[in-house]
Amino acid sequence: MRIITRKVENQPLTIIVEYPELDCATQRILGRIEHLETSFVGRSEERSARISVSEIYYFETVDRKVFLYTKDEIYRFDGSMAQIEEALEHTELVRVSRTCIMNTEHLKEIRQIKNSHLEAVLDNEEKIIVSRKYLPDIKKLFTSSR
Amino acid sequence: MKKIIRDTCILASIMILTVFAISILWSGITGEILLVFELFGLSFLLTVVIHAFDSMVSLPILYCYFVKYLLVTCVVLVFGFIVGWFYRSNFWMVFLYVAIVFAAAYLLDMLVTQRDVEYINERLKERERADSTSVDKSDRSVV
Repeated sequence: MRIITRKVENQPLTIIVEYPELDCATQRILGRIEHLETSFVGRSEERSARISVSEIYYFETVDRKVFLYTKDEIYRFDGSMAQIEEALEHTELVRVSRTCIMNTEHLKEIRQIKNSHLEAVLDNEEKIIVSRKYLPDIKKLFTSSR
Repeated sequence: MKKIIRDTCILASIMILTVFAISILWSGITGEILLVFELFGLSFLLTVVIHAFDSMVSLPILYCYFVKYLLVTCVVLVFGFIVGWFYRSNFWMVFLYVAIVFAAAYLLDMLVTQRDVEYINERLKERERADSTSVDKSDRSVV
């Protein structure tokens, strides 16, 4: 992969992607570029922080409150899961259970555990329960037609 | 393949409904025609009940199948008694019929899930390989 940058004055930031074929890797890069400027404001006890989509590991609702998880931080998010889903359409984030939206960018593996449960292992070794109902939606993200 | 099977079933259902609807005009409602419409009615009722259950309840798979089994059996029993399919002497057959359908559905579900998990894990490995190759091969230049 080649990365070429050049300065063009009086023009907005423009990204041109040239590819031999529109494969999964290219589509992922395009998806990331398209959502580079999408971010969420999370609140922790001491401060508020703007968190970009790629930093998010997952969103989870606990007692009707939405929490945003990054690699090693947890923030409270003032919004609903429906709003998040709407904002993150066509991204790598997908609902994996009634209470959780996961970023598949950080997904390492899906395992079948006892009682036919499914769990997703993230790249920080955190584990999330995946509902079988949402497995086809996760699969769809990995199909080449996307 | 899945789409072809689904479309075949939809087409067959439309053909059956159309043929039997036209037959009513010629010969009135016979026992066979009534049975077909009753089966369609029951299918609709079961689909609505299962859909509502899936959207409201989230249980481990075995409990989920067990609760669904009880729910579906109750619906079939009540519906069967109303339309006169069952008598007091043979109502236990409902449990057997529904159990056979559920066992088949459970096995199929397990197979499909296993296949989907393998597919996703394979794509994740490919992605990991592609990412490491991209990093190795990246060539940055400023024009």
